[in-house]
Amino acid sequence: MSGAVTLVMHSTDLAPIETPFGTFEGRPRDIVTLVDALPGFEDCRQFLLLSSPALEPLTCLQGLDASKPSFLVVDPRCVEPDYSCRLDDLQRRRLGATLDTPLLWLAIVRVADGGSTVNLRAPLVVNPERMRGLQLLAGHDDYDTNHPLG
Amino acid sequence: MLVVTRKRGESIVVGDGIEIHVVSVGANGVRIGVTAPRDIPVHRREVYDLVVAANRSAAAINPVLSVSALASSLRTRTPLAPPALVAAEGTDAPHRLA
Repeated sequence: MSGAVTLVMHSTDLAPIETPFGTFEGRPRDIVTLVDALPGFEDCRQFLLLSSPALEPLTCLQGLDASKPSFLVVDPRCVEPDYSCRLDDLQRRRLGATLDTPLLWLAIVRVADGGSTVNLRAPLVVNPERMRGLQLLAGHDDYDTNHPLG
Repeated sequence: MLVVTRKRGESIVVGDGIEIHVVSVGANGVRIGVTAPRDIPVHRREVYDLVVAANRSAAAINPVLSVSALASSLRTRTPLAPPALVAAEGTDAPHRLA
Protein backbone atom coordinates (compact mmCIF):
# COMPACT_ATOMS: atom_id res chain seq x y z
CA MET A 1 0.00 0.00 0.00
CA SER A 2 1.58 3.23 -1.08
CA GLY A 3 1.32 6.13 1.33
CA ALA A 4 1.23 8.64 -1.50
CA VAL A 5 -1.77 6.98 -3.12
CA THR A 6 -3.63 6.91 0.18
CA LEU A 7 -2.91 10.59 0.69
CA VAL A 8 -4.50 11.71 -2.56
CA MET A 9 -7.68 9.83 -1.80
CA HIS A 10 -8.26 12.02 1.25
CA SER A 11 -6.99 15.31 -0.01
CA THR A 12 -8.41 17.97 -2.26
CA ASP A 13 -4.92 19.32 -2.90
CA LEU A 14 -2.22 18.15 -5.24
CA ALA A 15 -0.40 15.18 -3.84
CA PRO A 16 2.79 13.58 -5.14
CA ILE A 17 2.32 10.11 -6.62
CA GLU A 18 5.27 7.89 -7.40
CA THR A 19 4.87 5.65 -10.45
CA PRO A 20 7.25 3.62 -12.64
CA PHE A 21 7.00 6.53 -15.09
CA GLY A 22 8.08 9.19 -12.63
CA THR A 23 6.55 11.27 -9.87
CA PHE A 24 3.41 13.21 -10.62
CA GLU A 25 1.01 15.50 -8.86
CA GLY A 26 -2.29 13.73 -8.52
CA ARG A 27 -5.69 15.32 -8.14
CA PRO A 28 -8.71 13.45 -6.78
CA ARG A 29 -10.85 14.80 -9.62
CA ASP A 30 -8.69 12.93 -12.13
CA ILE A 31 -9.70 9.54 -10.71
CA VAL A 32 -11.46 7.34 -13.27
CA THR A 33 -13.70 4.50 -12.14
CA LEU A 34 -13.93 1.65 -14.62
CA VAL A 35 -17.42 0.17 -15.04
CA ASP A 36 -15.76 -3.08 -16.21
CA ALA A 37 -12.36 -4.09 -14.90
CA LEU A 38 -9.41 -4.13 -17.28
CA PRO A 39 -8.94 -7.74 -18.42
CA GLY A 40 -5.97 -9.11 -16.50
CA PHE A 41 -6.41 -6.57 -13.67
CA GLU A 42 -9.83 -7.45 -12.32
CA ASP A 43 -8.82 -6.33 -8.81
CA CYS A 44 -8.43 -2.66 -9.73
CA ARG A 45 -11.33 -0.40 -10.70
CA GLN A 46 -9.98 3.04 -9.80
CA PHE A 47 -7.25 4.74 -11.81
CA LEU A 48 -5.65 8.15 -11.60
CA LEU A 49 -4.79 10.04 -14.78
CA LEU A 50 -1.44 11.79 -14.34
CA SER A 51 0.05 14.28 -16.78
CA SER A 52 3.28 16.21 -16.94
CA PRO A 53 4.80 18.46 -19.63
CA ALA A 54 7.78 16.09 -20.02
CA LEU A 55 5.48 13.17 -20.70
CA GLU A 56 3.17 14.81 -23.24
CA PRO A 57 1.48 13.47 -25.29
CA LEU A 58 1.61 10.44 -23.02
CA THR A 59 -0.41 10.20 -19.84
CA CYS A 60 0.20 7.87 -16.93
CA LEU A 61 -2.76 5.76 -15.85
CA GLN A 62 -2.01 4.68 -12.30
CA GLY A 63 -4.16 2.03 -10.62
CA LEU A 64 -5.21 2.81 -7.06
CA ASP A 65 -6.62 -0.55 -5.91
CA ALA A 66 -5.01 -3.89 -4.98
CA SER A 67 -2.30 -4.65 -7.55
CA LYS A 68 -2.02 -0.94 -8.53
CA PRO A 69 -0.97 -1.48 -12.13
CA SER A 70 0.72 1.42 -13.94
CA PHE A 71 0.16 2.14 -17.62
CA LEU A 72 1.10 4.74 -20.15
CA VAL A 73 -1.71 5.83 -22.44
CA VAL A 74 -1.98 8.09 -25.45
CA ASP A 75 -4.76 9.55 -27.55
CA PRO A 76 -4.95 7.06 -30.46
CA ARG A 77 -5.13 9.95 -32.91
CA CYS A 78 -1.62 10.96 -31.90
CA VAL A 79 -0.54 7.67 -33.48
CA GLU A 80 -3.09 7.36 -36.28
CA PRO A 81 -4.64 10.76 -37.07
CA ASP A 82 -7.65 9.15 -38.78
CA TYR A 83 -8.37 6.78 -35.92
CA SER A 84 -11.96 6.68 -34.83
CA CYS A 85 -13.93 4.29 -32.73
CA ARG A 86 -17.61 4.04 -31.90
CA LEU A 87 -19.41 3.29 -28.71
CA ASP A 88 -22.70 1.48 -28.90
CA ASP A 89 -25.72 2.82 -27.03
CA LEU A 90 -25.35 0.38 -24.16
CA GLN A 91 -21.68 1.22 -23.60
CA ARG A 92 -22.50 4.92 -23.81
CA ARG A 93 -25.23 4.58 -21.20
CA ARG A 94 -22.94 2.65 -18.90
CA LEU A 95 -20.52 5.58 -18.98
CA GLY A 96 -23.37 7.97 -18.22
CA ALA A 97 -22.74 9.65 -21.57
CA THR A 98 -25.12 10.95 -24.21
CA LEU A 99 -24.47 11.33 -27.93
CA ASP A 100 -23.26 14.88 -27.23
CA THR A 101 -20.84 14.00 -24.45
CA PRO A 102 -17.21 14.59 -25.44
CA LEU A 103 -15.28 11.41 -24.72
CA LEU A 104 -11.65 10.81 -23.87
CA TRP A 105 -10.03 8.00 -25.88
CA LEU A 106 -6.87 6.40 -24.53
CA ALA A 107 -4.78 3.63 -26.06
CA ILE A 108 -2.46 1.67 -23.79
CA VAL A 109 1.24 1.92 -24.64
CA ARG A 110 3.68 -0.93 -24.08
CA VAL A 111 7.15 0.47 -23.56
CA ALA A 112 9.88 -1.88 -24.82
CA ASP A 113 13.54 -1.43 -25.72
CA GLY A 114 13.09 -3.20 -29.03
CA GLY A 115 10.26 -0.89 -30.06
CA SER A 116 7.31 0.37 -28.12
CA THR A 117 3.81 -0.54 -29.23
CA VAL A 118 0.31 0.76 -28.64
CA ASN A 119 -2.93 -1.16 -28.33
CA LEU A 120 -5.19 0.44 -30.94
CA ARG A 121 -7.49 -2.57 -31.02
CA ALA A 122 -8.81 -2.29 -27.48
CA PRO A 123 -8.80 1.38 -26.44
CA LEU A 124 -10.07 2.79 -23.17
CA VAL A 125 -12.86 5.30 -23.35
CA VAL A 126 -13.65 7.69 -20.52
CA ASN A 127 -16.58 10.03 -20.00
CA PRO A 128 -14.77 12.99 -18.40
CA GLU A 129 -18.02 14.46 -17.09
CA ARG A 130 -18.63 11.43 -14.90
CA MET A 131 -15.07 10.06 -14.84
CA ARG A 132 -16.36 6.62 -15.77
CA GLY A 133 -14.46 4.46 -18.21
CA LEU A 134 -14.24 1.09 -19.87
CA GLN A 135 -11.96 -0.77 -22.25
CA LEU A 136 -13.50 -1.71 -25.58
CA LEU A 137 -12.25 -5.25 -26.06
CA ALA A 138 -12.91 -5.32 -29.77
CA GLY A 139 -12.98 -1.60 -30.32
CA HIS A 140 -11.27 -1.55 -33.66
CA ASP A 141 -10.76 -4.72 -35.69
CA ASP A 142 -8.56 -2.94 -38.25
CA TYR A 143 -5.82 -2.41 -35.69
CA ASP A 144 -3.63 -4.65 -33.62
CA THR A 145 -3.06 -4.82 -29.87
CA ASN A 146 0.63 -4.18 -30.57
CA HIS A 147 0.64 -1.49 -33.22
CA PRO A 148 4.22 -0.17 -33.69
CA LEU A 149 4.90 3.17 -32.07
CA GLY A 150 7.71 5.13 -33.61
CA MET B 1 -18.06 -27.97 -14.34
CA LEU B 2 -21.73 -28.56 -14.96
CA VAL B 3 -22.27 -30.41 -18.23
CA VAL B 4 -25.78 -30.65 -19.66
CA THR B 5 -27.24 -31.81 -22.96
CA ARG B 6 -29.33 -29.17 -24.73
CA LYS B 7 -31.15 -29.20 -28.05
CA ARG B 8 -31.74 -26.35 -30.46
CA GLY B 9 -34.13 -23.86 -28.91
CA GLU B 10 -33.35 -24.92 -25.36
CA SER B 11 -31.46 -22.79 -22.87
CA ILE B 12 -29.71 -22.61 -19.52
CA VAL B 13 -30.43 -20.03 -16.84
CA VAL B 14 -27.47 -18.77 -14.78
CA GLY B 15 -28.14 -16.73 -11.65
CA ASP B 16 -30.25 -13.60 -11.97
CA GLY B 17 -31.04 -12.59 -15.50
CA ILE B 18 -28.44 -14.55 -17.45
CA GLU B 19 -29.71 -17.02 -20.04
CA ILE B 20 -27.68 -19.00 -22.56
CA HIS B 21 -29.66 -20.15 -25.58
CA VAL B 22 -28.73 -22.80 -28.11
CA VAL B 23 -29.74 -21.07 -31.34
CA SER B 24 -28.59 -23.74 -33.78
CA VAL B 25 -26.32 -26.75 -33.96
CA GLY B 26 -24.28 -27.48 -37.06
CA ALA B 27 -21.26 -29.41 -38.22
CA ASN B 28 -19.01 -26.37 -37.80
CA GLY B 29 -20.19 -25.15 -34.46
CA VAL B 30 -22.97 -24.29 -32.09
CA ARG B 31 -24.62 -20.87 -32.29
CA ILE B 32 -25.14 -19.52 -28.80
CA GLY B 33 -27.29 -16.60 -27.73
CA VAL B 34 -26.61 -14.92 -24.41
CA THR B 35 -29.05 -12.70 -22.55
CA ALA B 36 -27.49 -10.83 -19.62
CA PRO B 37 -28.08 -7.68 -17.57
CA ARG B 38 -26.38 -4.68 -19.10
CA ASP B 39 -23.73 -4.45 -16.41
CA ILE B 40 -22.55 -8.01 -17.13
CA PRO B 41 -20.07 -7.94 -20.02
CA VAL B 42 -20.12 -10.97 -22.33
CA HIS B 43 -17.09 -11.71 -24.49
CA ARG B 44 -15.67 -14.48 -26.62
CA ARG B 45 -12.92 -16.14 -24.58
CA GLU B 46 -10.20 -15.56 -27.18
CA VAL B 47 -11.05 -11.86 -27.45
CA TYR B 48 -10.83 -11.49 -23.69
CA ASP B 49 -7.56 -13.43 -23.51
CA LEU B 50 -5.99 -11.27 -26.21
CA VAL B 51 -6.68 -8.15 -24.16
CA VAL B 52 -5.51 -9.82 -20.93
CA ALA B 53 -2.17 -10.55 -22.61
CA ALA B 54 -1.91 -7.03 -24.05
CA ASN B 55 -2.75 -5.35 -20.73
CA ARG B 56 -0.41 -7.52 -18.68
CA SER B 57 2.49 -6.94 -21.04
CA ALA B 58 1.89 -3.17 -20.96
CA ALA B 59 1.68 -2.78 -17.18
CA ALA B 60 4.89 -1.41 -15.72
CA ILE B 61 6.31 -2.81 -12.54
CA ASN B 62 9.82 -1.41 -12.49
CA PRO B 63 10.80 2.19 -13.20
CA VAL B 64 10.72 2.90 -16.91
CA LEU B 65 13.52 5.26 -17.91
CA SER B 66 13.02 5.65 -21.64
CA VAL B 67 9.66 7.38 -21.47
CA SER B 68 10.75 10.95 -22.09
CA ALA B 69 12.46 9.95 -25.35
CA LEU B 70 9.31 8.18 -26.46
CA ALA B 71 7.22 11.20 -25.48
CA SER B 72 9.40 13.61 -27.43
CA SER B 73 9.36 11.39 -30.53
CA LEU B 74 5.57 11.36 -30.36
CA ARG B 75 5.48 15.15 -29.98
CA THR B 76 7.35 15.59 -33.24
CA ARG B 77 4.93 13.44 -35.21
CA THR B 78 1.74 14.53 -33.65
CA PRO B 79 -0.44 16.85 -35.64
CA LEU B 80 -2.91 17.08 -32.81
CA ALA B 81 -2.27 19.10 -29.88
CA PRO B 82 -1.65 18.00 -26.49
CA PRO B 83 -2.60 14.78 -25.01
CA ALA B 84 -5.41 14.04 -22.75
CA LEU B 85 -7.57 15.87 -25.21
CA VAL B 86 -11.18 15.00 -25.52
CA ALA B 87 -12.69 15.11 -28.95
CA ALA B 88 -16.41 15.10 -29.17
CA GLU B 89 -17.54 12.47 -31.62
CA GLY B 90 -18.91 14.19 -34.62
CA THR B 91 -17.51 17.58 -33.70
CA ASP B 92 -14.13 19.17 -34.11
CA ALA B 93 -14.09 20.81 -30.75
CA PRO B 94 -11.58 19.37 -28.36
CA HIS B 95 -11.78 19.87 -24.65
CA ARG B 96 -8.97 19.47 -22.21
CA LEU B 97 -9.58 16.90 -19.54
CA ALA B 98 -10.67 18.51 -16.27
